[in-house]
Amino acid sequence: MIFTRFCGAFAFAATLAMPTFAEITRPECIAPANPGGGFDLTCRIAQTGLEPQLGTAMEVSFMPGGIGAVAYSLFNTTRTDDGSAIVAFSTGSLLNIATGKYGEFDENDVRWLATAGADFGAVIVRADSPYQNLGELMAEFAADPASVVVGAGGSVGSQDWMKAALLLRGAGGDPRAMRYVAFDGGGDAIAALLGGSIGVYTGDMGEMTPHLEAGTMRVLASMSAERLDGIFADIPTAAEQGFDVEWTIMRGFYMGGSVSDEDYNAWVDAFEAAYATPEFAAVQTEKGLLPLNIAGDDLTAAINENMALLRTIATEAGLIN
Amino acid sequence: MADRLFAGFLLIVTLAYAYIAWTIIQAPFQYDPLGPESWPRILAGAAVPCILYILWRPDDEPFAVAKYTWFRLALMVALLFAYAELYEPLGFIISTILFGTIVALTLGAPRSGALAFGIGMGVFGYLLCVTLMGLNLPDGEIVEAALQILQGGSE
Amino acid sequence: MDVILSGLATGFSVALDPFNLMLVLVGCFLGTLIGALPGLGPINGVAILLPIAYSLKFPPESALILLAGIYYGAEYGGRISSILLNVPGDASAVMTTLDGHPMALRGEAGRALSTSAVASFIGGTIAVVLMTLFGPLLASVAVGFSPANYVALMVFAFASLASLVGKSTVKTLLGALIGLMLATIGIDANTGVARYTFGIPDLLAGIDFLIVVVGLFGMAELLHLVEQQVKGNLKSLPVDKTFVKVADIVKLRWTILRSSLIGFVIGVLPGTGASVASAVAYGTEKRLAGPEGSKTFGTGDIRGLAAPESANNAAAGGAMVPMLTLGIPGSGTTAILLGALLMFNVQPGPLLFTQKPEIAWGLVASMYIGNVALLVINLPLVGLFARLLTIPQHYLTPLIAILAFIGIYTIVGNPHDLFLITALGVFGWFLRKLDFSLAPVILGFVLGSLFENNLRRALSISGGDWAILTEDLTSIVLYILAFLVVFAPIWLSRRARRAAAA
Repeated sequence: MIFTRFCGAFAFAATLAMPTFAEITRPECIAPANPGGGFDLTCRIAQTGLEPQLGTAMEVSFMPGGIGAVAYSLFNTTRTDDGSAIVAFSTGSLLNIATGKYGEFDENDVRWLATAGADFGAVIVRADSPYQNLGELMAEFAADPASVVVGAGGSVGSQDWMKAALLLRGAGGDPRAMRYVAFDGGGDAIAALLGGSIGVYTGDMGEMTPHLEAGTMRVLASMSAERLDGIFADIPTAAEQGFDVEWTIMRGFYMGGSVSDEDYNAWVDAFEAAYATPEFAAVQTEKGLLPLNIAGDDLTAAINENMALLRTIATEAGLIN
Repeated sequence: MADRLFAGFLLIVTLAYAYIAWTIIQAPFQYDPLGPESWPRILAGAAVPCILYILWRPDDEPFAVAKYTWFRLALMVALLFAYAELYEPLGFIISTILFGTIVALTLGAPRSGALAFGIGMGVFGYLLCVTLMGLNLPDGEIVEAALQILQGGSE
Repeated sequence: MDVILSGLATGFSVALDPFNLMLVLVGCFLGTLIGALPGLGPINGVAILLPIAYSLKFPPESALILLAGIYYGAEYGGRISSILLNVPGDASAVMTTLDGHPMALRGEAGRALSTSAVASFIGGTIAVVLMTLFGPLLASVAVGFSPANYVALMVFAFASLASLVGKSTVKTLLGALIGLMLATIGIDANTGVARYTFGIPDLLAGIDFLIVVVGLFGMAELLHLVEQQVKGNLKSLPVDKTFVKVADIVKLRWTILRSSLIGFVIGVLPGTGASVASAVAYGTEKRLAGPEGSKTFGTGDIRGLAAPESANNAAAGGAMVPMLTLGIPGSGTTAILLGALLMFNVQPGPLLFTQKPEIAWGLVASMYIGNVALLVINLPLVGLFARLLTIPQHYLTPLIAILAFIGIYTIVGNPHDLFLITALGVFGWFLRKLDFSLAPVILGFVLGSLFENNLRRALSISGGDWAILTEDLTSIVLYILAFLVVFAPIWLSRRARRAAAA
């Protein structure tokens, strides 16, 4: 009995009465990063959102290192058949797979489980910026790619850079000719935008929630296929403004490649049961994500399609040969 | 002498570091004029003269470590590596009991005291960290397997 | 002003509820225990304990108050191992070992621990007061700090570290270069190119700070202890009953005040945290202490303990400013807060104070109370902690290893880190043995990537024009200060010598 974790036991006792998918014992969600970031958030969605289905609050643990590479290689080497653990991923992880940063392993080496939700790229300027709409900014890019300083929270080859590169490509410019500044995370990039060091920030819609009402920044375009709801309803998409630039940040979970079908299906069922409840949608909204619910084989298919696109862009930019 | 040996070692490492900076590190393209390679080059460039100075004028203080001390230090490092190696397979409790007892013994603790210390650290350390503070310490692969067999037997 | 007062009143009415008061004390105690484990600091303490608070279903205010207690407790807990064992609990505690541990060896462990608690309390409180009064104003100034300004700040930080020069200038410089070189391992933040990772995924994100600190300091100290013990140079210290005196605090008032201000200002800037603040404060105080100070600092000068202690707590408070007023998470400290707030479905941001005043002000009030709780919990326990040194060496040595292993393993559960700290410990032991001081290595490691990344950011912004580095007043002032910090003491001591000769 010593080995039963105190907190696990507590949570278990509290939820004993709920219907459970008894197959999954001691479920664990691994956030392949330090606490407090996007992967942490992804795991928290599963932790809260799946609690009724699993009958217990799953443990969230952290495995930082190599922007997810450490976790990815661990689940491809030692924990390949761990049926009780799921690992958070995002489109950024897929991009790292596409550019070979995860080493020898690719997208066919793990089992893609389910999504936690989505976020979309956003083109953001300061409230007093001369650019009122995406068209004005794109005209500037087309005339001289180096005339506007673009900044974001990631290095060349990261998601944030990809958004900027797609934007330049949409304007008919060469992404390599722009002025791009890589910051250490979205927070620093927002600070630089507010402080006037950079002119445009290619961030995410979700992180704009608290800033929209404050009116310090303006979102020129959402990089989604369709307009978003709620407070984002007034923000036009890039496509509406005549530019075909889309960027969806998918957040979800994968499992080791050798996990048994039985375990895998138990998880897929748990997710699909959760997707059907209003509570799960509420958790998604609370954590600042937009609904995007795909699980099982559908997700695997979607990811394979996604990977092809990512590889094309990365090759064009010269990041892979 | 020790200074020179250590500086020699650092020189080899720094030259390897510099070699990598001058040959391998490069970006497909970059937005700043320095790129990923300039900073390591500058550092290597600054480190080499410092190392050469130490090689030229080492401190004359003797590096007095007796043979027996070397042996004891090597033993300690070996025990630490063993502890690290066994941390997950044996789990925190067993590996800590072993490590704590053995190290205390090698450092001259009385036998019963060393054993009490090892067991105390292993068991109470685990209870304190895992139950009170909620830290995540390894249970041990062996322990988990044994528990599974026990549970399997009782069913 | 009225808004602030009524806000604080709201906050305190929440925080002073008896249940919440009990939580802050419990949190402070648990935080102290966790913080005392080498490697585990406030970030990990809160990250580890918060899910428990969450599963116990506390209301958000209570949970945040518990968080404040844990936070201040863990911050202080790190000092215990720094002072008593010469093993820094986290990166910001490195400077604390320089004078804190010599004090403990001299038999003044109690005085050092209690001074640290008082200095931390004053630094933390000054920061919270400044935050309450000038938060929004400061935040808008802080975001205007450009990459070029950061470059100048780093130059200033390096310059103030010139005072750390030990016996050999070349060895100090080389030590800093080793730290700088270690910091280049990992993915380059600008181009995404992997440097010195040799295809090992664990190295892609670079070597963790905590691993360098615990390895170079903690494990090296352990080997040092074994060596001393084999030589028979070690004996357990007698129980010491020293305690900080009112006269000490009066004597230290300017040191603590200056360091708190330095710490707060550096803390407010996104991206620079408590470790930079404590280093700059220590360097500045040592410089100000003059030629007499350069002899006593590093050998157990109480000023050398009070300066980093007040600075790093003030910096931790300062870091909350951009977070609470602008919704910009700037440092590790604020990442904790962000996580905690999100967990309770509170979106931190520019409108937090107007939309959820009870939470925002409750948090501010709990920071005041957390600071007090730190004193209440820890001052009475100082005597108990100091007794740690009376443990016979043959138990203390393995205890350090066991604590370091727990601390490092529980951060991420990666057994490779245990090998890494041991290897770094062997390296650190050689460095110590050969009279390299370890503080420059750590500071090189901390400042290196900040300097390189901001330099390259500035040059990306300017499109390669180096003039950007000197084109605004803030940078120029910082360069002048850097110059003065290095050369003024030399010039002053020469003038003093000439005056004495004449």
